[in-house]
Amino acid sequence: MSFIKKFIEQETITRRNFLLASAYGVGGAAASSMLGGMARAAITDPTVAWSYRNRTNPYWNEIVSGGEAFVESLGKPKDFLTHLINEGSSEKSLADVKALLAKTNGELALAIDTNDAPNARPVVEAVAEAGGYVSTIWNKTDDLHPWDFGDHYVSHMTWSDEGPAEQTARILLDAMGGSGGVVHLGGIASNNPAIERLAGLKTALNDYPDVELLAAEPADWDTQKANQVMSAFLTRYGDEIKGVHCANDTIAYGVLEALRAEGIEDMPIVSYDGNPQAVELVAEGKILATVFTNPHWGGGITAALAYYAATGHFKPSDEPHSSREFYGPTIMIRPEDAQAFKAEYLDSVPAYDWKDFWGPTNGQIQYK
Amino acid sequence: MSNVLTRDVLIKWAPLIVLLILVLSFTVMEPRFFSLRNFARIGISSTPALMVAIGVTFIIIMGSIDLSMEGTVSVCAVAFAFAFIWLGGTLASWAWLALPLALLVGAAIGLVNGLVHVILKIPSFMASLAMGFVGTGFALLLTGGDRIRVEDDLFRALLTERWFGFPIMCYVALLFLLIAWFIQSRTTLGRNFYAVGGGEELAHASGLNVNRVRIMGFALAGVFYAVGALLAVGRIGIAETATGSNFMFVSITSVVVGGTALWGGIGGVWNTLIGVLIVNVINNGMVVIGLPGYVQDGVLGVLVIAAVVLSTDRKSVTFVK
Repeated sequence: MSFIKKFIEQETITRRNFLLASAYGVGGAAASSMLGGMARAAITDPTVAWSYRNRTNPYWNEIVSGGEAFVESLGKPKDFLTHLINEGSSEKSLADVKALLAKTNGELALAIDTNDAPNARPVVEAVAEAGGYVSTIWNKTDDLHPWDFGDHYVSHMTWSDEGPAEQTARILLDAMGGSGGVVHLGGIASNNPAIERLAGLKTALNDYPDVELLAAEPADWDTQKANQVMSAFLTRYGDEIKGVHCANDTIAYGVLEALRAEGIEDMPIVSYDGNPQAVELVAEGKILATVFTNPHWGGGITAALAYYAATGHFKPSDEPHSSREFYGPTIMIRPEDAQAFKAEYLDSVPAYDWKDFWGPTNGQIQYK
Repeated sequence: MSNVLTRDVLIKWAPLIVLLILVLSFTVMEPRFFSLRNFARIGISSTPALMVAIGVTFIIIMGSIDLSMEGTVSVCAVAFAFAFIWLGGTLASWAWLALPLALLVGAAIGLVNGLVHVILKIPSFMASLAMGFVGTGFALLLTGGDRIRVEDDLFRALLTERWFGFPIMCYVALLFLLIAWFIQSRTTLGRNFYAVGGGEELAHASGLNVNRVRIMGFALAGVFYAVGALLAVGRIGIAETATGSNFMFVSITSVVVGGTALWGGIGGVWNTLIGVLIVNVINNGMVVIGLPGYVQDGVLGVLVIAAVVLSTDRKSVTFVK
């Protein structure tokens, strides 16, 4: 019978070992999750990343240069900033974010334009779940709010283009003497800024009954496409066109060259974005107005918000809603102030205080 | 009558007939379409695309494909602009050297493209696509995302100076079209493209150095991409990484619509001229008749399929890959 006794003894020991082991396991897990939780509240050295379309476009180039200026303010080299380039694909955008979260173990401060609005939710959820911190610009759906995610969805910034586009439209319509035909060359038709900038023109047109909107065509933010569309407009409308409303500067360059090919030098044109070349053209009087949205500052501050929330410098959930969802800055540039603007913003990039998160912003986002 | 209008003759002239039908249709819908001014506008938008499309025509005749044009055009445009400004910034100075330099850059990229394809035995589709990305990336590295303005009045005369209603760039394109036609029909290299495309094994068995022909073809295509880049910069006065954007779709569509078969051996540069004109007439005409922007892309796609159906001889093909 001794083998039975031996068996029972052995079983007792293994069960005791098992209980001890599992008790340790539970406790250990709890302890490590507590440690983990504390570590998450303040990540000492998070990876800083910017996720965007690509650098080919001058606007995104400015955004990213702001991100680089921010990491340099931390005393790090430019290439400390991780670039996630989605090339216009939401799927790639999300996949890259998930990969980086896995690589950094969630110790991530992410600034991102999610490429389209529906993609914002999965991106934000993935970052929040992994314990990272994310700030978004431009694209998100109206039902997604930073304050629904505690501290991990730090902020969202967008630009309301309708008001400024309406102002540039009024400048254009006044320059046309309040009569004649106007054409609009827009961005990619489904893009929010493209829709808002056309809406701004239409609002202004209500006050100018003698001006006819001859046509509004998408030129996809592209200089060469704008050039071709403007050429075709000249065929269709010829001398009826008395002014051109462009959705952005790159479109205006194409329009100017299409007019130049026909020997037309004095057509009133307004545009948007305030790229350096456009500002020069405003100074020369070839463009009547453009609107600067300070993408350099926008790119830097978006990364800064995510970074300083991650390091515990400020606690997003203690901030009011107006500090979580806000409009970015807009500055109107006219021929008379183009030189001063150029000196202040373009000739040398101003050194920004990347801890002044909300100074230049334009109030809380309003939903229609 | 039946002798004149055989199936072969019809297929040969189908692209031109398609073009004429398009011009007539747009003219009926909007008479202002049919004017010298508008044809000059179509000419201006066609010239850079025509050069790029001629380049890829040679490759497609060989039965290969080249998708590197966007990157190559960007690099050539940016290299040209940098050299042009560095050497003086006006054609009246040594800056004219930037023109042949750009062609050399194009040839060099094409050569590398061909070498990667032939020596590493990577399918031309993949090798050239990858080279295109390398090109775009390199152009971005050179410019840092900035745009370079080329404002020399002499160089911009390509666009602003007109002879008989058409800007000089149209005549430059015509000159290079004739050169391409000469290469295609009067040189050994040109005939070898058809030999490779018509039956590579046969060409190889006949003692033709197929690899050499391929590499030369890619280098030649690179030169034409560079000409396209120069005309694109001449048209808008800006060289940037985005200069090459959209050329892939426009050029390959044009080649196919013009009746050059993707399986090789059939077609030529005149087909490509008609193809480029078809695509640009459609693009211009849709805006001129006032078609809403959101249906234009769809209509372009449908018209391209219709044009390919009408202008290629699909009965001679046993399978499509």
